[in-house]
Formats: sequence, structure tokens, C-alpha cells
Amino acid sequence: MGAVIGMKKKGIFFTFIAITIMAVFILVFTPQADISLSKDTQAAASRISSIDSYVSDLQSNYFETILRAVSYKAVLSLIFYMNETGSFLPNLDSAFYEVAMNGTISNVPIDTITGKAIMENNSLSNWSNKITETAQDTLNVNTTIRILNASISQTSSWGIDSIMTVNFAVKSGIASWEKNSTIISSFGIEGMPDPYYLVNTDGAYVNHVKKSTVEFNQWNIIKVREHIRNGTYVHWQDSKAPSFLMRFTNTIANSSCCGIESLADPNKITPPDVIDSYADYILGDTLNDIPCSELFNITNPATGGGIWDEFRYFKLDFKHVVLYNITAQDAVGTC
Amino acid sequence: MLLKPTKIKDFRGPENLKNFLGKRGFFFILDAVLGLTVLIIGIFLVTSSYVNAPQPAQVSLLSDDLMDFLSDNKIRELNNPYAGIGGELWNKGIITDTDNSLLQQIGEFYAKNNLDTAEKFIQNVSKGIVPEQFRYEVWIDDTLLYPKTPSPEHIKSKSGTGLLLTSKKLTFGIINRTTSDLWGPYKAEVFVWER
Repeated sequence: MGAVIGMKKKGIFFTFIAITIMAVFILVFTPQADISLSKDTQAAASRISSIDSYVSDLQSNYFETILRAVSYKAVLSLIFYMNETGSFLPNLDSAFYEVAMNGTISNVPIDTITGKAIMENNSLSNWSNKITETAQDTLNVNTTIRILNASISQTSSWGIDSIMTVNFAVKSGIASWEKNSTIISSFGIEGMPDPYYLVNTDGAYVNHVKKSTVEFNQWNIIKVREHIRNGTYVHWQDSKAPSFLMRFTNTIANSSCCGIESLADPNKITPPDVIDSYADYILGDTLNDIPCSELFNITNPATGGGIWDEFRYFKLDFKHVVLYNITAQDAVGTC
Repeated sequence: MLLKPTKIKDFRGPENLKNFLGKRGFFFILDAVLGLTVLIIGIFLVTSSYVNAPQPAQVSLLSDDLMDFLSDNKIRELNNPYAGIGGELWNKGIITDTDNSLLQQIGEFYAKNNLDTAEKFIQNVSKGIVPEQFRYEVWIDDTLLYPKTPSPEHIKSKSGTGLLLTSKKLTFGIINRTTSDLWGPYKAEVFVWER
């Protein structure tokens, strides 16, 4: 009887061993289920992270880069277009929008008019399509880009700001993004031909924008000579000159923030002797001639001063004579 | 008094039964020890394979790490006698934009069809980023840039690997700041696998 009881007590141990083995097996195999679950989560997280990175790259880098590049090319194309047509633009905003968006002006590819391959495959539509296709190929996401507006303006003398309003959506199998964004970029105008010179001289006088390095209080007759020779531009405080963009539409008014001006070389205009100030925006404005009482020949036969030895017939109005610090030794009145 | 020797063990009787059970206890202990050994070996084997389980994640992280390293670091942040500022490529005027990320610089080399320089550039900047036991490839727009000409061992290793993971990103940039000419956007891919 006692032996039977002993055997029964050992049965408990076997049961414990069996439970232990089961417990070990459960412990060993249970985490594997966790691994596959976490793998799936990790994959989804990784994919969302990749697409999120693409979306933020699109918003903060891609749009800004293409806006800067396309705006620069569109402005350059418009200058060449004005040179070909010999006329100012009636509306800069609409012309810029059409050229930047589609590479056309009045529905005609602008490159066919200018004869220069600048906007070909370089419009905002082209670049939007390129990123859409590459994103589909790379990340298997569907990108929809709607450019609502694109315009240019100036808040500084030597740069153009371009602004684009865009709505874009990125959709993948597991998540989607939709955003409205205003992109701002800017580029310099130095190196661009001045459209005001081109149109007023039928393309005969090409003057590229180059900022003068002379400080406002350092001007004298020697620096004026170099200024004309190099075709450099200057911005005066509270300038009476038009900004670079105003020159596209022949809007000859003062732009206190952004007005720039150069001095025309009499040797490059026909006829060289004009009874007007050779400050570019005054010379080109036929409706606003300077009275001879305020006009000075920048020469003085009595002293041998001035710059007529190199720039014969060069004249300036009184305000510019003062601004450029030209003294009576180098200037005489025209009447 | 001499006991009559018994040829066959007779466990009948309370004392003999106690002896018999005592010997069986030894067998039970031996059996338990053997069982435990088998269990420990089993657990060790299962645990070992379980420890290896995170390898895919590790390779995945490596491919992401390499891609992030290339896309997040700029030329100006690089201290490298070949590819950094003041380095060989900089002095030759081949690298001009310090704001380019390493990935953008690779893309620019590709856009300019400068594939040999691209290969050497990748080799230089990625040195030490990927552990020795792994192999990797860098592709731009479905063109293999590193290694430009893979060795037979490289090809065999790639085709024979059980786990090959990739990381993808888009890249683009400016090829000429004066004319505002752009390159891209290109698909950039990094493949990483164990040798």
C-alpha cells in the first residue's frame, strides 16, 4: 500500500516535468511570433519613413530648386524674346507664368521665337512630371502636383524673388500625404542683359547687369569714366530709377527699394549726341526730357576736364552731377 | 546461521521493495539528468537560431545607414583627402559645390558621365561605413556605379546570398549654378548583403 502511494507521488514529478517542458517550449516559441509581428511593423515604419523623407525633400528642396532654376531661365527667355520682338511686355506676370509653367508665350514655344534652347524640358510642368515618374519608379508612390501660381517680384536691387503656390499629394499603399505649400526662392540678376537697352536700341546695345563696387560717397570723374566703360549699375538710396523687372514693361517710375541705373555710352547709341541726361532710364524715356538749364556736358574745355575725350557728348542732369560728385572742373551747362 | 543464497532476486517483502525502489530512484535521476541535458542542448540550439533572427534587421539598417550617410552628409562636412574640401577632387576643380550632399555629388558625376570618378569617390567616402563582412553596391538610375566592374566573387556572393536588402532615395541637383541647369531626378539605390 505504501509503495503504491510512493509511485503516485512520483507521478506528480512527471507531471511537473511535463509542465516544465511545455513551459520551455512555449517560452521558446512565443517570441518568434513577436518577431514576425515586429518585422511587419518595422517594414511599414521603414516605408512610411522613406516616403515621409521624400515628401519633406520634395517640399523643402526639390520645389525650391526647380523654382529657382525655372524662374531664372524664364526671365532670361523673356529678355531674349523682347530682343527678338523689339517690344516691351504688356504684362510681365502673365508672360512669366506662361513661360515658367509651359515654356510657351501666347501658346507658342518661346524657344522657337528666341532660337535658344532654354525652356525646352525645363518648365515647371516638365520638372513636376519628372519627379512624379521617378518617385513612382523609386518608391512606388503616386505623386500628384498642382502648381496654382508662380510669380516674380523684387524686394532688393540685385535679386529677383520667385513665389510658387503648389498643392501636392503623395499616395502609397499604406499612407497618403496632401499638402499646400508656398515656395519662395531667389536668384541674382547680375549677368543678365538689360531688356531696357535691348528694346530701346533694337538689340544694338547689349548691357549686362553688373553691380558697381564704388561706395556712394566715393564717386569722382575717374570712377564715372570707368562706370561708363564697364557698363556697371548702381543703386542709390531712395532711387528714382526703375527696378530691373520694371524695365521689362517700360515702367519708368522710381523704385526706392530696388531701382538700378547705369550711364549710357554715347559711342554705342545712334545718334550719339542726344539733348538729354545719359542716365539710362532718363535717356530712354522720350516723354521726360531734362530742360537744358538742368543739363550739363561732362566736359570742360577751359580746364581740360571731363570725359569727352572718350565719351563725346556725354551729359548728365543736375541731380546725377551731384550724386556722382562731378565738379565744375569737369562739367559745363548746356545752355 | 548461513542464509541460503538466492539466484533470482526476490524483492518480495518490505525491506527488499525499499532497496529496489532506491535503485530505480537512481535511474530516475539519471534519466532526469539526460533529459535535462537534451533540453539544455535543445534550448541552446533554438536560442542560438533565435539570436540570429535579428540579422535581417541589421542588414536592413546597414543599407539605410549607408544611404542616410550619403544623403545627409555634405561635401563641406567631409574630412577626406580625396573627396573633401582641399582634397584631390577639389583641387582639380572636379568638385565645386560644397553644399552638395555626397549622394548629390555622386549623381552629379553620373550626370556628367564621370563614372570612374564616381566609383572612386564612393569607395573613398564609404570606407569604414560598412563592416568587412558585408558587400554593397551603389546604383544611380539603374546604372551600377560601385563597384563599376564587379568581380566574379562579388557577383557569386550577391547571387548566392540568402538576404539582400536595398535602400532607395531620389536625388537631384544643380549642374551649373550660372545657367541654372539641373540634373535628375535620379533613382539612387544601395544594396547590402553578407559575404
